[in-house]
Amino acid sequence: MSHEVDDMKYGISFPGDFNYGPDIDGEGDTASTLPQHKPRILLMGLRRSGKSSIQKVVFHKVSPNETLFLESTNKMVKEDVTNCSFVVFQVWDLPGHLDYFDSAFDSEHIFGGCDALIFVIDSQDDYQDALAKLHFTVSRAYKINANIKFEVFIHKVDGLSDDHKIDSQRDIHQRATDDLVDAGLENLHLSFYLTSIYDHSIFEAFSKVVQKLIPQIPTLENLLDIFISNSGIEKAFLFDVVSKIYIATDSSPVDMQSYELCCDMIDVVLDISTIYGDDADFSFPPERLKEENAFNTDSCAVIKLNNGTVMYLRQVTKYLALVCILREDSFKRQGLIDYNFWCFRKGIKEVFELRKTNKQLTNGENLENGMGEPPQV
Amino acid sequence: MNAIISLCHFCELHGPKVLFCTQPFHPEEKTVSAGDSETEGADGSIPSRRHVASSAEPMTPQTPTHNSLPNYKNDLCEGCTSVHLGFVSHDEEAAVSYMSSQRPQHRDVFAMVRQACIRSLSCEVCPGREGPIFFGDEQQGHAISYTFYIKDYQARGFQRLYSVIVVMMDKIYLLNSWPFLVSHIETVVEHLKSKASVVFENEKVKMPLRQYRLTSTSVNPKNFIQQRGGNVNKPARSLNELTDDKHVFKVLHTSFVWILKACGNRLSETLLEGPPTEDSIIDMEKQEETEEGFVKLFSKKLGIDDDLELGLDVLSNPGTNPGDNGTIDEVVEDDGSPEIIDIRHIYKLLGSRRFHVLAHHVVIGNQIILRGKGRTLIRTFQNALTWLLPKGCYRAVPYSDEYVESYRCNFLGLNPAVSIPSYVNTSEPFLLVDIYEPEDVHLESPDPFKGYIFKLSTFFDLDKVVAPSVLQKMEHAIVNDSLSIEVVDQCLICLKEEWMNKVKVMFKFTKAGGGRSEEDAKNLLKIVGATDDDKPLLSYWMRGLSDQYKKHILSASRQHVL
Repeated sequence: MSHEVDDMKYGISFPGDFNYGPDIDGEGDTASTLPQHKPRILLMGLRRSGKSSIQKVVFHKVSPNETLFLESTNKMVKEDVTNCSFVVFQVWDLPGHLDYFDSAFDSEHIFGGCDALIFVIDSQDDYQDALAKLHFTVSRAYKINANIKFEVFIHKVDGLSDDHKIDSQRDIHQRATDDLVDAGLENLHLSFYLTSIYDHSIFEAFSKVVQKLIPQIPTLENLLDIFISNSGIEKAFLFDVVSKIYIATDSSPVDMQSYELCCDMIDVVLDISTIYGDDADFSFPPERLKEENAFNTDSCAVIKLNNGTVMYLRQVTKYLALVCILREDSFKRQGLIDYNFWCFRKGIKEVFELRKTNKQLTNGENLENGMGEPPQV
Repeated sequence: MNAIISLCHFCELHGPKVLFCTQPFHPEEKTVSAGDSETEGADGSIPSRRHVASSAEPMTPQTPTHNSLPNYKNDLCEGCTSVHLGFVSHDEEAAVSYMSSQRPQHRDVFAMVRQACIRSLSCEVCPGREGPIFFGDEQQGHAISYTFYIKDYQARGFQRLYSVIVVMMDKIYLLNSWPFLVSHIETVVEHLKSKASVVFENEKVKMPLRQYRLTSTSVNPKNFIQQRGGNVNKPARSLNELTDDKHVFKVLHTSFVWILKACGNRLSETLLEGPPTEDSIIDMEKQEETEEGFVKLFSKKLGIDDDLELGLDVLSNPGTNPGDNGTIDEVVEDDGSPEIIDIRHIYKLLGSRRFHVLAHHVVIGNQIILRGKGRTLIRTFQNALTWLLPKGCYRAVPYSDEYVESYRCNFLGLNPAVSIPSYVNTSEPFLLVDIYEPEDVHLESPDPFKGYIFKLSTFFDLDKVVAPSVLQKMEHAIVNDSLSIEVVDQCLICLKEEWMNKVKVMFKFTKAGGGRSEEDAKNLLKIVGATDDDKPLLSYWMRGLSDQYKKHILSASRQHVL
């Protein structure tokens, strides 16, 4: 086990990289106004709060234990999460030691082109300082770019009891919003998540952050709703396979356990196909080659659980997989599900093509047409 | 060297910090201390060096801009402090003092260094993570930064990031010093790293922390907190501790001072006005040959056309500087005979017709033999004639008791008793100037040359030969009394340089690539603006080209042919 994770390839010189165009001053969905604009997510927080660990665990499959041996990040680490066809976004890991509103940094550039700001608070530490820094950062960033979505990760909650978790979330929520109200920033909305790299909560929280940056989310959700209602499925997730972030799910509430179950299923399928899959495509960077090869659009897996539930995985595109949870008796009509899935995939492709031709998508309408009418058997 | 060298560190608690700076101070320059508010305005300037050292301490705790973190914004941990007072070294010879302290005294300098520090540690990416890079701009100064890791068993990732930066306003100077600076900074860095890795290995044996972190219940959250808590008290150890060397900053000070001083000595800047003339290049070549302390024999490195010319032109003694006007220096003792001041003086003594004959002989390279008693007179006569020739063409024997052949010298001073050998009379084109002194010496005469007679005789009559066109221009300048002698000098230099350029073209033409027809040669002459009458001058002046140029042309043409 090597703990020396070479992260050189993510390091990009800070002043460079200006090619994302001017700030977006439009209203509503920032990502849709500029088709080529890559949504940018900033990871901020005090030193040692776990920013780099989050990035490593979510995007590099580093084992959570190994993050203990990460050295402190001394410069901004920018990373493009590009291998996912639907969301192409950037994650910038910003060291907590630096003051980005200092004259040494181009804060206009950093926050101006940013879409979401994740502020990580170490819940095991005394979070007094973190709250002060949170307030400072958020209020300054808001002045520069009011369109930023502010997310607060109450991190490292694995060390806390359930009661304590709730308490600290309430406390942090209360204090942070009070501070903002005192400063006259009522319009600034903060979202809070309890996260830990030792379970799936970090993936879920990141999923929600990413989902906010996808303008087509309502479309996808609608698509999934139609799909599950017509196929007798209980819950369906559209996953980015590599990061295990779910891009979209149907409108029914997400149960943490079923999400974890789906993540585990992806792991199982990945592991098996890495061993037995064919290795044809070498167009990917070597470090991701393994995973890419494992999956292709024909990938499909069924796992039957002993409580009468079936998990069904189908690959949608190279990077996206649909994972469904359904009752065993619904699965008897697999042909219908497959046909519906085929329609669903067609719908997704149309969404992509629309996006490619840079046409404005009017939510919902095109969808139902693209979906077609699934036959009832 | 007007640069500042600093050691920077990415502190676990405070981010990028300047640890240790060394900078030179010149005694005349008044240094304003950083920030009036910080030092209560009492130490507005630093008059004495001792004062510099003592005032270094009080301002260390302040960091101008760090308003983000409430609790530890002002304190500095062990990891980002180096020395309390600092060190001062005086270079008595050069009158420079080198001062090392935690931070530079001057506010602007500190801002520059701090900016470079942040860029070096947190912005710029060095390929391979450790090593040298260059960055900077006109406002913030230019910097060479060398980043490196020092092993620390208790640090996150088991290592800590440091960098050595050299900040300077002069970009050209800094980049020219790159090879020197980088190699020596490397030496300093290697020294620190090797010391630290010894400490690291020792600690590892004592306490296998990595194993402990992995195998123990460290994943257990409660344990995790304790482990973290253990580190919080002492998050960053000082460089002294990491290298187990109390004097590490003292060593750094001496290293930095040496680097600054040696780098300053390495390159010195000279003001160059225009491109060097052919004459000055020849001077430089002569100087090169004598630099080693040998007797100045200037043998041409490339014996192209004159193999015989081996070390015979002994020019006085090695100590002589050949630079001043290419004259032969006052080693020849003065014998009281009158001196010729300049070329115009000769003109006046000889009259225009005879001067023309003399000058004509000179510029086409015929040997001029001055026969007479007055050594000083002959020497100064020769010197004055050099105004007419490029330096490379000028080879003189100031005074001799026997005839010296023309391939050895074109100016020869002779004892009146010596006669020219008969074989020379017939074969060699030379001009003999006999100088007869007056019989009765009037010591008090206002004109020292009264009674002197100059007799020109030659077997090689130039009357029917048209003089080179440049000679007319030269004479014109010399005759024109409204020009001061300095102007005449400059004028002659220009004319010579103009014709040297033509000579260069001719040289290239003749030496580079064979098989040129007569027709080509004529066309070329036309193009450079010369006639057939100038040919003797052009071919003679080729000898005056610098070795450097000849070598260049020959190698270039050889390549061309190949």
